Amino acid sequence: MRGAMVANVSSADNRLDRRGLTWGLVGVAVVIALTFIGSDRLVWFDAALTGYLFGVIFSVFGILYRYSVWLRRPPTKMLHRRGWDAFRQRKARNAAALPSLVATNILAQSFIRRRSFARWVAHQLVFWGCILAGLVTIPLTLGLLHFESVGQQADHYQVYLSRVGTLKFDAPSIFGWLMFHALDISAVLVLGGVFIFLRRRLRDPGAMAVERSGDFLALAGLFAVSVTGLMLTVSSIWLHGQYYSALNTIHALTVILGLAYIPFGKLFHIFQRPGNLGVAYYKQANEEGPAQECRRCGEPFASVQQISDLKEILPQLGFDYSIEGGGHYQETCPRCRRAQVTLAQSVRVGGFG
Amino acid sequence: MKLAHYGLGEMPVFVVDQSRCIGCEACVQACAECGTHRGRSLIHLDRIDRATTTQTAPMVCMHCVDPTCAEVCPADAIKQTEAGVVQSSLKPRCIGCSNCVLACPFGVPKYVAEFDQMMKCDMCQDRTSEGYAPMCASVCPSEALWYGTKDEFRERRTGALIREYRFGSQQVRTKVYTVIDDMAEGPIDVVTGQQRSWLDDPFGLEEAET
Repeated sequence: MRGAMVANVSSADNRLDRRGLTWGLVGVAVVIALTFIGSDRLVWFDAALTGYLFGVIFSVFGILYRYSVWLRRPPTKMLHRRGWDAFRQRKARNAAALPSLVATNILAQSFIRRRSFARWVAHQLVFWGCILAGLVTIPLTLGLLHFESVGQQADHYQVYLSRVGTLKFDAPSIFGWLMFHALDISAVLVLGGVFIFLRRRLRDPGAMAVERSGDFLALAGLFAVSVTGLMLTVSSIWLHGQYYSALNTIHALTVILGLAYIPFGKLFHIFQRPGNLGVAYYKQANEEGPAQECRRCGEPFASVQQISDLKEILPQLGFDYSIEGGGHYQETCPRCRRAQVTLAQSVRVGGFG
Repeated sequence: MKLAHYGLGEMPVFVVDQSRCIGCEACVQACAECGTHRGRSLIHLDRIDRATTTQTAPMVCMHCVDPTCAEVCPADAIKQTEAGVVQSSLKPRCIGCSNCVLACPFGVPKYVAEFDQMMKCDMCQDRTSEGYAPMCASVCPSEALWYGTKDEFRERRTGALIREYRFGSQQVRTKVYTVIDDMAEGPIDVVTGQQRSWLDDPFGLEEAET
């Protein structure tokens, strides 16, 4: 069994983490300052979106809090440090490789396509739908973005970023339609992805067996936000604004709850997954460094760096794989570990029992 | 062994008795049929060293009570169910660092470069959660991989069930059992234990010579 001294952030500890709290509050201060400055001292802040602002603030606090706590787990801390070390070792080459890594691993998510084309399509739809919705909603909520009619022309608008006027467009134009229906487009994208995901989750026995409650909750949240958002458009275009107020309240509630769910649910992987970029640099540096030879068969099986990192974090987690008389069990390759377990078991059996 | 499924109260156990393995690879084929990782076999079946021993080494995830793989995962991607099954990595979280592959004392997790993800045996959760034997155990002709209740084991087999191992200074307890003759010697000592089994000299001829 593991030793009693465990440096891990204990899940049983219900006290607030001080460092996480600090980072969370810094994030909240930045959002408030951004809102105040960006909206030109609240001149362009839309009071109707106050609820959304509280949602964003809570979400930012939660994300930074959890991220800070997560980053302090011994293996996460080690990988975070090593990722940056590896990046700095060959800065120019690694910086040049970054756009391609971001495009492949974060934006195109090609590793999901190799797993299943349908899942990749679903994930891409949800991903780009959420990105589009975020790009529209967050600047609007913080008052960083607003629209003004140009002169007295009611169908001619200009986009303002804070106080700076940018694009002008006609409302009836295709561009105007895209601008005013960007959230409808994002809702349709998200719903397409949600339905593909749901189909798999409800039909695939393997997926059903390893289902976690969070899998459905995330899909239900995305579904609720998208459908209630689309209903606002339905109300204004086809129902002459009927039920708009009630629908608006329901939509706001789903969005605020969704924002509050991000730091604590399945969607937190949005912030964890970019860690994969650090892993890519870490792996490359390890491949270029010395290889660890197996203490049993003598074959190289990993990098000296990663094995030594594991030997450093294991005691912090309460494990002791050191071998009496020198050496460490972690210096054994996985194949030899299986062989040793098998031989050690067989030797305790006197015959074909 | 009962082929029908087990009820909630029966509490069947998964037993791996490597000494019985005949290396037929039925388990390797069956594993690929598991619903949670269809088409990809996650069981290991190694030939240790043909020149010195006929022993083959089947290895499934032993589902440690306190899994090292989960603890060393920087992305917190390996979870344990209430039944003690250590699941394969959560797909959205796994960042493909291979810490788990290198830390598992039993050498079980596999890093699948194609998906940039770790995959491992999850004890056929689609089957065992319904009371059916894991795929590998359902096809193993020598019962090296066996699934049933402890009472059934006592009726049909010899030896004692154990689930404690020692790797250097570290003792590890698992959900999956293995078989030994005598409990008196305590946990299976993987590192310093004798590395020559009865299979290397099944009739005791070499021993008699010495």
